[in-house]
Amino acid sequence: MNNEEKGNSLDPEDIPSTSARPKLETTKLTDAALEDTNPAAPIDTETLQAVEAIEEQGDADGSPSLSANQQPRTDEAASPVAVNSGSAKKPHSFFGERPLPLIDMAPRVLRYRTRRDLMLFSAGAVAAVAGTGFLLPQTTLSRMGVRGDINSRANNWLLNKTLRIDDDVAEALYSPNRMVPTYTKSQITPIKNNYNGATPDPGYISGWSLTLEGLASGLSVSLDIRKLMNRFPVHEQITRLVCVEGWSAVAWWAGLRFYDLLRAYPSIAQAKWARVESSVNLDASGNPDPYFASIDLATARHPQTLLATHLSGQPLTVEHGAPLRLLVPVKLGLKNVKAITRITYTAEEPKDYWSEYGYSSYDGL
Amino acid sequence: MNHLTPLVNQSDATSTSLEPSSVLVVKRHHILVRWSHWLNVPLLLGLILSGISIYWASPIYQHRPDPVTGNFDVAADIGIWICAYVPGQHQYASPPDWVYNHMSLGPGILAVALRMHWLCAYLFMLNGVVYVAGLVMGRGWRALLPHRADLVDALRMLRYYLGFPFAKLTRRECLHRGFNTKYNALQRAAYFSIPAAGFLSVATGWAIHRPMQLHWLATLFGGFDAARVWHFWLMWLFIVFVVPHVILVLADGWDTLRSMIVGWSTKVDRLGVIANEQ
Repeated sequence: MNNEEKGNSLDPEDIPSTSARPKLETTKLTDAALEDTNPAAPIDTETLQAVEAIEEQGDADGSPSLSANQQPRTDEAASPVAVNSGSAKKPHSFFGERPLPLIDMAPRVLRYRTRRDLMLFSAGAVAAVAGTGFLLPQTTLSRMGVRGDINSRANNWLLNKTLRIDDDVAEALYSPNRMVPTYTKSQITPIKNNYNGATPDPGYISGWSLTLEGLASGLSVSLDIRKLMNRFPVHEQITRLVCVEGWSAVAWWAGLRFYDLLRAYPSIAQAKWARVESSVNLDASGNPDPYFASIDLATARHPQTLLATHLSGQPLTVEHGAPLRLLVPVKLGLKNVKAITRITYTAEEPKDYWSEYGYSSYDGL
Repeated sequence: MNHLTPLVNQSDATSTSLEPSSVLVVKRHHILVRWSHWLNVPLLLGLILSGISIYWASPIYQHRPDPVTGNFDVAADIGIWICAYVPGQHQYASPPDWVYNHMSLGPGILAVALRMHWLCAYLFMLNGVVYVAGLVMGRGWRALLPHRADLVDALRMLRYYLGFPFAKLTRRECLHRGFNTKYNALQRAAYFSIPAAGFLSVATGWAIHRPMQLHWLATLFGGFDAARVWHFWLMWLFIVFVVPHVILVLADGWDTLRSMIVGWSTKVDRLGVIANEQ
């Protein structure tokens, strides 16, 4: 039974006459030792196909006219069979596998092509190995025992170019009207303190204020937390914070909208960016190490971009950037600056803390 | 080029020639399929190596931090285990990094690994387009579609492959059933799944890469965190595929390997049947 299924696996219609089948089955059994034993009927159509296919085939490689030697196997013996079955030939099902056209080729030609393509293949393999050596980071190469600085500016150029293309794709995907998914309180997950250096001493909180610069008024404005919280409506959201490292956390945030701050204190007309800075950030050994990130104003105006004051219904703790942090769920976590002390509006794109380490500075999610 | 034609005709005329005047061949793989097939080697290698470096920054499989070492990464545990029990690795300088030092670009280079991953990923997507174009232009796509009876036949082929070395050793005959299609059922299953896995890898990759703009895609795979797990295990599918793939091609012989480099194959067994019929 299975034989039949196999033979017919192309399609039952491939077999023109049912009378041929008993004979087939016996051929199959006797020829069992042959690797390939299969019904005659598909072969008939196949030979026909070969004739047709060769006419339209040409040479897919675009190699020289060696194909002149390719003669379809339409010798005296085969063609009558083919003609007989021709009338009975039925169309294949659309998904049914077509037999491969047989082509008569001079061994010389086959050898020539094999040699030519093998040489091309080897050249490609050598190029690939060279390219790999060129692209691999220095640390990886030195671990593999490769010495010398073969990593060049060109390598960085290529990787940075890739990063810019990827950023452009992200920017094209971004829609200011698209909301990020929000979650229920039961879906909240723990969020870790991912300060890249030491967590600051909470002493800074009492004297904290937010400075705004690059305003249309030309002034520098300083706001304390009470003023910020009283002046602007509070919005709550449960969103996912995604880190460039790969982890994520669903958290319940509350705060004012960045957009509301922008409307209350408009930026200079030509401003396209906001540089968000925390001067209380520390490096790993506890020394001051101001942290900064840029966001484009289109992102700043997104309704889910908050200047958060609360996490899980409680005022922000020092681990999470008390008293005010940027919460921009359409960007990677590294843009979500904790303990913001200064926002500067600029026309040119400001640098990010992490850009000099080779990270993207667009970071759109 | 034309000088070849008379030569061939000559050998046709002299029947005493040792070399057959012609050999029947089939075009097994379109040139675009062959190109994309081989380009997958460096691209997948780059994706896997940089991918595991990215994995290092926030491993999916973690446990409660070890009270002594503070280690929480299962991959680091495996490295420690290898250095403790595998001969020749006892002197390894940093056991927790063993896995990352041997299976990735290295630990602690997230920024570089990300950029390498994007580079390889964009090229991998382009390569996928080239592959599909080759399948369509070379009309090879139908040969990849699984058949209804394939599950049983694929298991039978698997049994054949697994039993083959044993049969060779015991000099027993080990025959597998013939098939009149380009691939056998197991090959079809493999060569259909791998492009599908490539597609899913790209889809889960985008789901992780842009989980907000493409949040529907992340939702499709069960959310951001689940998409990472998918992406991780899809990588293993490629690794698991490559090992028997390479072994079987080498075991099958030069003609099979050549067909992926040159395109032509002289394995046209069906012709023997035609001759018998006559």
